[in-house]
Amino acid sequence: MSMAGSALATKPQPQSQPAPTTPPGRMSRLRRALSERRTRFGLLNAAPVVVYLLILFVYPIFSTLLLSLKGEEGGWTLRWYTDAFQGADLEILLTTLRISAETSLLSLVIGFLLANAVTRLKPLWAGLVMLVVIVPHFISALVRTYGWIILLGEHGVVNNVLTDLHFPGAPFQLLYNETGVVIGTTSVMLPYTVLLLYAVMRGTDRRLLAAAASMGAGRITIFRRVYLPLVAPGLVNAGVLCFILCLGYYLTPALMGGPKQTMVASLIDDQVMKQNQWNGASALGIILLLLTFAGLLLLCLLKSAGEAYRKRGTAS
Amino acid sequence: MPELDVKAPTITRPPDTGTGTGTGKPLSVTGLRKTYGGVTAVDEVSMEIAAGEFVTFLGSSGSGKTTTLMMIAGFCEPDSGSIVVGGRDVTRLAPQKRGLGFVFQQYLLFPHMTVWDNVAFPLQLRGTPKAELRRRVGETLEMAGLDGMARRRPRELSGGQQQRVALCRALVYRPPVILMDEPLGALDKKLRDQLQTEIKRIQRELGLTVIYVTHDQEEALVLSDRIAVMRDGRIDQFDTPRELFEVPRTPFVADFLGAANFLAGSVEERTSEHTLVRLDTGGLLKARPLADGSGGRVRGAVQPGRITLCPAGDGFCTGTVETVTYVGTLVRVTVRPIGGAETDVVRLELPAGRAPAPGERVGLTAEFADVSVFPDAEHRG
Repeated sequence: MSMAGSALATKPQPQSQPAPTTPPGRMSRLRRALSERRTRFGLLNAAPVVVYLLILFVYPIFSTLLLSLKGEEGGWTLRWYTDAFQGADLEILLTTLRISAETSLLSLVIGFLLANAVTRLKPLWAGLVMLVVIVPHFISALVRTYGWIILLGEHGVVNNVLTDLHFPGAPFQLLYNETGVVIGTTSVMLPYTVLLLYAVMRGTDRRLLAAAASMGAGRITIFRRVYLPLVAPGLVNAGVLCFILCLGYYLTPALMGGPKQTMVASLIDDQVMKQNQWNGASALGIILLLLTFAGLLLLCLLKSAGEAYRKRGTAS
Repeated sequence: MPELDVKAPTITRPPDTGTGTGTGKPLSVTGLRKTYGGVTAVDEVSMEIAAGEFVTFLGSSGSGKTTTLMMIAGFCEPDSGSIVVGGRDVTRLAPQKRGLGFVFQQYLLFPHMTVWDNVAFPLQLRGTPKAELRRRVGETLEMAGLDGMARRRPRELSGGQQQRVALCRALVYRPPVILMDEPLGALDKKLRDQLQTEIKRIQRELGLTVIYVTHDQEEALVLSDRIAVMRDGRIDQFDTPRELFEVPRTPFVADFLGAANFLAGSVEERTSEHTLVRLDTGGLLKARPLADGSGGRVRGAVQPGRITLCPAGDGFCTGTVETVTYVGTLVRVTVRPIGGAETDVVRLELPAGRAPAPGERVGLTAEFADVSVFPDAEHRG
């Protein structure tokens, strides 16, 4: 800030110096822009960010892309991609999508109920509950996952309680299948959905609900016609974010899932660590990236669809 | 404007509340009471409101006016007392089951709906057939001068327009009573004046029964058929603006509405027609009869606009002109009475042409019918 302050405090220099040597037109305009102190200062400020992005973002992505397109004996090929969309690999891809969708949905539902409950609490209690939701996130996901394994095992707390209560069907198989993966992953994703939804719900003016009630709207109508539309953007954001995070999530599915719950991240791990197959792993990585982009695109589409829907509602 | 004339009869239909409008007054409140942690916010408020009446709760903050309104609306539950709307006891009913209309100070339009949808919302809740819904929403918006705004979102409107939409939304379904909580409080003076006129016009045209809450005396006087002046959770006086202004029943009402001058003295003579008060400054003030109290120490109350000048030595008081301030066509004058305390000044409002000069000695006089007198015990402290 002191730099900016002193720069602003100095006497302004003449901005357009006569430059007879430069050709007229775009070049001269560019040069004049570059000669302005503001522009130079801006470029200087942007440089660290640009370097950072080039080294840590652009370079890795492009090298991964290149790797995924290289054949085993040199040359270019698409075979890693065709492999990924065939047989067992395709199944893993579909499983990943399915588990991600299930987890997102469950996180949304639980997150909605939780965030909604928290918004009704007094500020002190709300802060406390949010702390309880977020603090587990500071603990390693590995530890938490092992915690779930202990809880959900055949003789774990959950099954013991259910058996003692003579719950029909108990004990249940809650580990090394899809149920286990979804439970574990949901617990990891929950803080994100709760935080996002809580922020939106906090920003929603609850007096609007009172206004609807004063006009004669019942609870269900208020929820459906007023509350839900107001928090819908938050729901979409949280859902898509959760989905994207799930797509590349490795730890919990690997530990709590069975062979049928292998997700793409595990497959990549397998290819790199066991088969030393970097090209195929790169292709899978790129596919995940594209799926993420698809998710973001879906987000945009949903938002504009929502706008269009509201506009159409007006026309009638 | 022939179209408007054709539509007018359909607009001015009596409220179709379905709760038997003929069975009673639109609203009657009996012995309403509410305490918050030992502090009494509303204390034994009772009133009856006639159909088509515009009633205002007037009071400063903490007077219980908003709490009373919230209890009528159902947003807060009274400790005791009852609220009857159109012959139906609604005291313990949820707000949505009372069938009233409410206009909030903060508008509270639904931001995700257009103006049209906002106004149509309460009709949709009531399952109004589509054609009728369209007609009624259209008419209501037109009446409020919002015909061109139907497709806009609330955030694209100015504050005044938003409040008009809120008004439309509250009256489109013809509730038996519309409650308004300082609806113009967030608007600037000019817009407020304009909307006051408009609210009054719509209320008269449609014969709406309105309960309005405000702390602005002028607004209350402009709008209301009757005003309930509230203080410390009680109604000090519930009367027409004229009665409140001319025959205030408590010193508070005289002060709050009329910004009256208070003159301390003792009763010298009491008849059924008038009271004679010997003021502490020496003069004799003729006032209306004292309603109650023993006589003894009293205070006379005269509004600044009801005092006129007379030759020094005449009238109820003689004093020196201290300040003269021009306020448009009026002059505000303060006079320090001879023999009075340092802090006692009498405020006057005179036509601009009759302004005295500062330092001049003047006498003050007032018609005895304009002078109220109150026992002194009440408003001291």
